[in-house]
Amino acid sequence: MNHPTPSRTAVRREQQLTRLGLSLKRDTIERMVPQPTFRSVLGKGFKLIGRFIKLQPGSFAVAVVGAILFAGAILAASKVVGWITDDVIFAILDNNAEPGPLLRRASYLVFAVAGVKAVGIMGRRVGAGWMQLRNAQGLRFRIVDHILKMDMDWYSKRPVGDMLSVVEADVAFTTQLLAPLPFSIASFILLIGSSGLVLAINSTLGIIVASFLGAVLVLQFRASWVVFKMFAELQRTRGQVAAIAYESFDGALTVKSLGREAAETARLEERSASMRDQQARLVKVGESYRSAVRAVPSAAAVVIVAVGAIQVLSGVLTLGEVASVTYLLSLLFWPIQLVGFVIFSFAASTAGWDRVAGILDVEEFVVHGMDESTAPGEGAEIEVARVSFAYLEGEPVLTDLDLTVPPGRVVAIVGPTASGKTTLAVLLARLWDPRSGVIRLDHRDLAGMAEGVLPDEMAYASQDTFLFDDSVRGNITLGLEIPEEDVLTAVRLAGAEEFVAALPEGMDTRIGERAYALSGGQRQRIALARALVRRPRLLILDDATSAVDPSVETTILKGLRAAELPSTVVIIAYRASSISLSDEVFYLDSGSIVARGTHEELLASQPGYAKLLTAYEAAGEDA
Amino acid sequence: MSKSGSGAVVVLTKTLKEVPAFTAGIKLTLGFVALGAGVELIPPMFVRRVIDSAGDFSKGDIYVWGAVGMTGVVLAALASRAGRTRLAVAAANGLHDLRVRTFERLHYRSILHTQEQRRGALVARVTADIDAIQRFFDWGGVGLLVGLARVVFTLALMFLLSWKLAGLVAITTTLYVFLLVKFQKVLGRAHDRARGSVANALAIAGEAVSGVPTIRAHGAQKHILGRLHKALDREFWADFKARVIGNALFATAELYSGSITAGVVVVGVLIGVRDSFTSGELVAFVLLVALLVDPLQTMVETIDSMQSAAAGLRRIFAVLDADIEVPDAGASGTPLASGGFGLVTSGVNFAYGDGPQVLTDINVEVAAGQRIAVVGETGSGKTTFAKLVVRLMEPTAGEIQLGGIPVSDIPFDSLRSRVTFVPQEGFLLDTTILENVRFGKPEATEADVFKAFTDLGLTDWLSGLPDGLQAAVGERGSKLSAGERQLVALTRAWIVDPDFLVLDEATSAVDPALELQLRDALNRLLKGRTSLTVAHRLSTAQAADSVLVFDQGKLVERGTHAALVDAGGVYTKMFEDWMAGTASSA
Repeated sequence: MNHPTPSRTAVRREQQLTRLGLSLKRDTIERMVPQPTFRSVLGKGFKLIGRFIKLQPGSFAVAVVGAILFAGAILAASKVVGWITDDVIFAILDNNAEPGPLLRRASYLVFAVAGVKAVGIMGRRVGAGWMQLRNAQGLRFRIVDHILKMDMDWYSKRPVGDMLSVVEADVAFTTQLLAPLPFSIASFILLIGSSGLVLAINSTLGIIVASFLGAVLVLQFRASWVVFKMFAELQRTRGQVAAIAYESFDGALTVKSLGREAAETARLEERSASMRDQQARLVKVGESYRSAVRAVPSAAAVVIVAVGAIQVLSGVLTLGEVASVTYLLSLLFWPIQLVGFVIFSFAASTAGWDRVAGILDVEEFVVHGMDESTAPGEGAEIEVARVSFAYLEGEPVLTDLDLTVPPGRVVAIVGPTASGKTTLAVLLARLWDPRSGVIRLDHRDLAGMAEGVLPDEMAYASQDTFLFDDSVRGNITLGLEIPEEDVLTAVRLAGAEEFVAALPEGMDTRIGERAYALSGGQRQRIALARALVRRPRLLILDDATSAVDPSVETTILKGLRAAELPSTVVIIAYRASSISLSDEVFYLDSGSIVARGTHEELLASQPGYAKLLTAYEAAGEDA
Repeated sequence: MSKSGSGAVVVLTKTLKEVPAFTAGIKLTLGFVALGAGVELIPPMFVRRVIDSAGDFSKGDIYVWGAVGMTGVVLAALASRAGRTRLAVAAANGLHDLRVRTFERLHYRSILHTQEQRRGALVARVTADIDAIQRFFDWGGVGLLVGLARVVFTLALMFLLSWKLAGLVAITTTLYVFLLVKFQKVLGRAHDRARGSVANALAIAGEAVSGVPTIRAHGAQKHILGRLHKALDREFWADFKARVIGNALFATAELYSGSITAGVVVVGVLIGVRDSFTSGELVAFVLLVALLVDPLQTMVETIDSMQSAAAGLRRIFAVLDADIEVPDAGASGTPLASGGFGLVTSGVNFAYGDGPQVLTDINVEVAAGQRIAVVGETGSGKTTFAKLVVRLMEPTAGEIQLGGIPVSDIPFDSLRSRVTFVPQEGFLLDTTILENVRFGKPEATEADVFKAFTDLGLTDWLSGLPDGLQAAVGERGSKLSAGERQLVALTRAWIVDPDFLVLDEATSAVDPALELQLRDALNRLLKGRTSLTVAHRLSTAQAADSVLVFDQGKLVERGTHAALVDAGGVYTKMFEDWMAGTASSA
């Protein structure tokens, strides 16, 4: 099949599952800082830098040494130019000195300075790059690791899109301040060094240079701060534009079938225009500052040459010294323009870090017990005792629920929408813990089990399947070492054999969001195989074949019945065909078990149950 | 895969031509930029003036020169500010135009709904791709122009001072730039590799975060974290390598500048010894060489962002230049006449792109006022058929007529107001229920919307919501259940008051009891209107005037439910499976 059919799974998704956070929300790039102060940004920024340096001290040292070499080379270059002017050019052209040796020395010096500067640039940039990238890598890993440890209460309250945006965008923002850091250090060395150098040549010129540079710094910090605030605003609008595009494209079918293309374009145009206007305002303000900053070295040079020339007249200075100072100023041209960027990157990074810390500082981890014992035998015994549960306080989903399933039994949980079926399933799989009461598997409290024990004994397939960007085989084994033969058996039992064989590379075909698109029913069958291949002692099937065509479903169910699984099976289902697989049915309504018995018994004794199961037929006959 | 620099220039030129906002007032802008670029040339000239006077100047001279220099600096700064601002504002205007045009084009084309898996990538056309171009303008585009102006001015001034030395500088600079562009390609490839591995690592991180329930239920944390670690490490090395290459390239500018400074001093002195080249001129020349290096370095760094921007532009033009697959008949078309109308299809085939045939030779005739059910297994082509009827797509062969007019001749204005399609996934905007229903008919009042819900017998459901019509539905309608979303989508179609309603499993997620009630309401409302219902439950087919059975892209059976059940064909088998799935036989 060439085009993916919209999965019925998605349509049938219950509200509870949405609450579980299983829906992938759009990525949001917006959400820059609320209102930080200049002081808080500086303080936090330095703390952040300290943290990153501690993690990568070696590369930081390389970067700093590089920065020092770089700054030193610039200062040396100005000395060299001064020397060349006075002792080479004037000496030869105006005083007829012997050119050969002087020119040779001049060339060596110039090359040496250039070489040191090049090495400094390499060291500075490579060190900073290593430090930034390694820290970003480490931070991303830590965040994902942290999220995987958190409990579902925490997880379900955060849109997945937000978490992804922290992992992607915010980590990038946070580590961004490391890139210009060594250059900033070099710039400060330069600014101080050059003021000192000029001061050493002549105090008047030194004071002039220092005051010009001071003015530039003040101007830059102000500009950077003002521009950052406007930039944050712009980013928010950028996020809104992206959100409109996401939403509008998601609903493209609806937009088109209602002929609303022009209206949607107008909706985007309004936000896009406001983004354009903000961008223009930002540029106007930013450029006013920047052109002032850019003019400062030139203005300083004019003043210095004028003052210097007067000093030359009175014999205090040589022309070479004036040339040297002017040259120095021309070298400061770029460092000065970038120094202000530090404040900008501080602000962006601390804002990113606030959101990263919003995850790393919360430790609502799943608590595992110490019970490492494993139970013998094939099917597990389930005991649910007085279990109550609510996703949100005041909205109970399960109340005082009791349930026991003897080993090896196949039971069905049946109930109307929102009766708590799926919730019961996720409690059995210990994705959540009961708010009160206890669930035991072979007399062991689920909450007391050591990490990894439960997943070894239990497998859970839900109607919403999640596929990884991996081969069919990789998606089924999820890293377990399982003989190919067993994998193939599971694939066959799950009714996936035929379509998997038809895939371009069979079991090795890459599936998942970014590769081969499977239909909803096909995805569910992969997930079913994933559960079956584990030969679990407890198998939970939560409407796990809802998107599979009825005739295929019938085949799968017949196969499962014939396979004599080594499991206790809990099936959550709507369709009678799935229910027919069970030895016993639990009828769930409003969060508690109303009745239990065989399908026929319940049909006879429970009018609500009978009504639920016959609703579709009734619909057909009435019409 | 790194595109050559010339390719980038071609697509950038095309952009400037097709989006006039980019070049509005460009002559004046360039004038300002050129004037502004002169600013850094003032000090070297001033130095030359002072030195060449060899002490033979008065304080008065210096004041005059100083005043002239300072005026120049201020004027140039103002010009530079004007030029850069104008450039950036023009860029913002142009990008806005480009974004809106691309967005609009995507909606009028069919890729968004025929290639759903590409939607995420298409969003990037109006976000990430435009952002890449914006970055180019912010960091490179303006700098590139200004840098170019500086290089040209500096070289011109050098030629004025000494054509021999200037020639030396010009030739070596050209050589150096040539080498840079060559190595830039190596860098471009490294950047492409880095981008690829970044995308991969982020995707794997994304999987781990969105798959938490699955990972936990299967105890696969270690496996997933191992994968992530590997991907992040690959990302690190690819990224780092690209940076090392870039840094090395950047650092060569220093070596170039060193060699050229040394060369200028040596050659300049030798020329000076023979000719009448003054020491002041030579010193000014050395200062000018320093001015040449920075813009060159910046330009090298810009090439990379220029290539990203060009790649984004190429993708955007791929959207803008492609034809609209399903064009509007517009004013030259024939609107639908008033009153009910039927449907005729003859020899209709359909395939997605070069893919396999999805529908083959579909011939259907539906009289006005009939209720038709379309059934078939997943992939049988029934949804595709429904989409062709409402002209969301165009058949690859054959013709579809509504009320005797080929659908391709009916202007969309007329078609969309008389024929409504309700897809399976009722898509809701992140706003209130009221606004979502109004999306179908913007001029509808609150009373109209309420009446539409009343018509469909949904007032009980509506009054159960905390804020009734004003209830916010959340992002993609996530605060409602799937079934509730379908109710809103159905009401939204109903308020259009269509003469022909096409429902594609539009009530599949609705609670059975409510669905029953809804069906009664629809039966009442649809009297005198034509309807085509793609059905998941055969109970719908039982109630229809006629059933169309699709199997593997072909219309295999048609007739009333009763007749088809007895026919012993595909439908009979489907009905048996369906019955097996319902309570009576369990």
